[in-house]
Amino acid sequence: MWAYVIRKLVYNIPVYLGIILLTMAALRVRDPVAGYLGKNATQSQIDRLTEDMGLDDPFIVQYGRFLWQIVRFDFSEESWAQPGRSVRSILIDSIPPSMSITLPQVAASAMIAMVIALISAYFRGRLVDRVLVFLAVLGMSISYLVYIVFGQFFGAFLPQHLDLKVQPFAIQGYLPWLTEPRNWLTYCLLPVMIGVIVALGFDTRFYRAVMVEESSRDYIVTATAKGASKPKIMFVHMLKNAMIPIITRIMATLPFLITGSILLEVYFNIPGMGRQLITALVANDFPVIQAFVSVLALLFILSIILTDVLYALVDPRVRLS
Amino acid sequence: MRLGESWLLRVVAAAGLFLFACGLTGCERQAGAGTQGPLKVLRLPMATEGPKTLDPILGSTTYENRCIALLYETLVQYKYLKRPLELEPLLLAEMPSISEDGKTWRFRLREGVYFQDSPCFPGGTGREVKARDVIYSWKRLADPVNKEKNWWLLDGQIVGFNEYKDEQSARVKAGEKFDYDAPVSGMRVLGDYEFEIELTEAVQQFAWKLAMFQLSVVPREAVEAFGTKFSGRPVGTGPFMLADESDWLRGVRIRFTRNPKYREAYYPDEWMPEDEEYGFHLPAGKRIPMVDRVDVTFFVEAQPQWLEFKARRLDMTTVPDFAFEQMFSRRTKELKRSVAREGIVHFKVPLLDFIFRGFNMEDPLVGGYMPGKKALRQAISLAMDWEELNEAYYWGTAVVYDGPIPPGLDGFPEGPGNRAPVSYRGPDYAKAREKLVEAGYRVGADGLVKDLPPIDFYTGRGAVNEKITALMERNFAEVGIRLNPRYVDFSELIEAVNNKKAQFFSFAWGSDYPDAENNLALFYSPNVSPGSNHFNYSRTEYDAMYEAIRTMPAGSERTAMYETMRDMIIEDAPYAGAMARTRYYLNYPWLRNFKPTENFFNYVKYLDVDMEHPDRPR
Repeated sequence: MWAYVIRKLVYNIPVYLGIILLTMAALRVRDPVAGYLGKNATQSQIDRLTEDMGLDDPFIVQYGRFLWQIVRFDFSEESWAQPGRSVRSILIDSIPPSMSITLPQVAASAMIAMVIALISAYFRGRLVDRVLVFLAVLGMSISYLVYIVFGQFFGAFLPQHLDLKVQPFAIQGYLPWLTEPRNWLTYCLLPVMIGVIVALGFDTRFYRAVMVEESSRDYIVTATAKGASKPKIMFVHMLKNAMIPIITRIMATLPFLITGSILLEVYFNIPGMGRQLITALVANDFPVIQAFVSVLALLFILSIILTDVLYALVDPRVRLS
Repeated sequence: MRLGESWLLRVVAAAGLFLFACGLTGCERQAGAGTQGPLKVLRLPMATEGPKTLDPILGSTTYENRCIALLYETLVQYKYLKRPLELEPLLLAEMPSISEDGKTWRFRLREGVYFQDSPCFPGGTGREVKARDVIYSWKRLADPVNKEKNWWLLDGQIVGFNEYKDEQSARVKAGEKFDYDAPVSGMRVLGDYEFEIELTEAVQQFAWKLAMFQLSVVPREAVEAFGTKFSGRPVGTGPFMLADESDWLRGVRIRFTRNPKYREAYYPDEWMPEDEEYGFHLPAGKRIPMVDRVDVTFFVEAQPQWLEFKARRLDMTTVPDFAFEQMFSRRTKELKRSVAREGIVHFKVPLLDFIFRGFNMEDPLVGGYMPGKKALRQAISLAMDWEELNEAYYWGTAVVYDGPIPPGLDGFPEGPGNRAPVSYRGPDYAKAREKLVEAGYRVGADGLVKDLPPIDFYTGRGAVNEKITALMERNFAEVGIRLNPRYVDFSELIEAVNNKKAQFFSFAWGSDYPDAENNLALFYSPNVSPGSNHFNYSRTEYDAMYEAIRTMPAGSERTAMYETMRDMIIEDAPYAGAMARTRYYLNYPWLRNFKPTENFFNYVKYLDVDMEHPDRPR
């Protein structure tokens, strides 16, 4: 397996180099320094920052220098928009808030959607199935923003406004929760619940399709003929074999776990990576944008390799060769 | 079905646990709120991600100003309740004495002002502020490590300062250290509490700059001890401080705690007659700051800020667009009776805005000073309907006016409709057509100009900008003027304007200080692009007048000069406009002494909160 992983990593090096090359070129189409310094910058200020940042060097030199930084994981460069803060500290500080909402969200939505999909497949074509599919489509059709606005209003604002005894959620905000877990319940649970509800529609429909397709396989017919109970067939035999597309879907979302859900982070004031990236884009914070994109690209590649490895772990038919 | 049942049981149990946990959280929050005890906590919103730095020298936005003004102090400050704005000493013992030629300013610092305690000082005890601290703080503007962000404040103003900057920059480039001890001929320390500044010109506006937060006084020890981290570890003399580094949770909130070492200072005893209606005069002579803690929450979106205010978790707020009609009568722009009954108080604060559509005066089509070119720009201006824009996008709350001087400043046209004696403000389509003919274009029987090519109009991306441009196009269609809209990112817009590529563009300017000189500088020829004169306007007579007003003391003579310059600009029409927004504030009755302003932000020390007010959530 390790040989496979190493080989895959080597194969993906040119892909990664290409991504970095394109990213760097795209970020330099317009003068990033003039954009950052704003409308009152003097030419001498622009020239000085350009020189300080090494942006006056030939592109290939800048490319090589940035690659060397990535190799050393050296993101000590100072953010342009947040003086005194290194890109590394921005990255490190924003990952936990993002993970606080995306990790439970993906785990919960995947588990709940799988259960609903199994129930739906179990009652395939019957009223229960139709109602569940209808609800899934309905859930998909409503805008994310509507869930957020309603969630904030009914989940957080109304209990406070009515001065109810139980006010489980804050309208917005974030506090580190590792030392005080109740902070997670107060600040993260509501956005997680909203994220789960939004994801349920898509996930349920996808997983149901996978389950339905799987239920017509020969081994299911065999298991049924041998007298295995339907729940056992579905939850024990079918679920394991349906894991490949499920894993693919979950793994595809892994890099987005890091970037977080931008809308949730913005509306719930959670200082995660998605919001940081948006802030950096708006503020033309060149070093942050460049570093974030390079890290994201790396995560994408790693998640693809990890997906392949997991295939082999869940399905003995898949060989890593 | 055993498996299914057990799964169901687990889900029910998990849900129960979850609800229990939620309940627990609710109880904890209640208990937490109760433990605040007698602490007076002021809860303010900030409609942004928050400040990016707490180092005055690196700050530039109003958000940084709002925070830094609580932590650090400048030599002078604005009188809180006085209008029009006036300066008074803050770190100074008295206002500076100025030599007869207006060039030498002598300052005497207040004695007994201490920096807050910090590990950067020997023994961790904050020391007294001395004259050398002021000089050190200002020298930081010249340090390349600070990216010249605020160099413009003192650029060319102090004798020898530009030379000092060049010398030090050369040293840094050569690999040596920036020498803060090297002398600047125009900055002279006369004693522990006295120093003298020699200006290159007798510029009156220097006094306003002394109140700008970027010129706050910082201790050298802190800058050197904390290095780049100084940006997040403020050590000031202000009424508040960050008790702990974690009090600034970037992007979420910042918590200021009363500075126990803050000197004896009192609520002002000068006020305007109208202040008595709100009781602003009542705390006169009381010790400040009045609250123990200030919690500022950052909001990127207006919706959660509004909900927090409605839930009474914020003591005041500005009014987001979507809530305007909910709170105010569209006709009278006054608070609805039902809202006023709740005890909510509102204030309208006109901003020092200059919102305009600029022309590039070097452009072959719309630029130039010949009568025909001038007539074309006047025609374009006459074809625009700023009142319609105001009604459609600002609820009719903005102020539409002639000239580049915003409301509240000397030189603002106070006449009916804020019109100056010379005015090309539209919509006046008949006059616009006359001007087009005067400009040499052919206007057909249908009233539309025939041979004017489309004008490139640069504006920011976004739905609102697109709608505003559509409104402009509709106005222009009345006389046949066509626009070629270019929706670009802000950086692209700046680049196009700086490179003099944008023919016609949408921009705005917020005055740095309450003096029309700041806005009139936008048309001074040495400031052409990439400087702040984005119009590339250049008139020798105007430049001479601008140079004259800089050294003129405030008074009727200077105001008359401002008006002459304003009318000259209106006649030459290097822009079409203008408009200034009005900000609406709402605050709950338990917030005391809040007289909103957008010109300075160190007023938080005067605010008080009635923690026992029956409507304030405990």
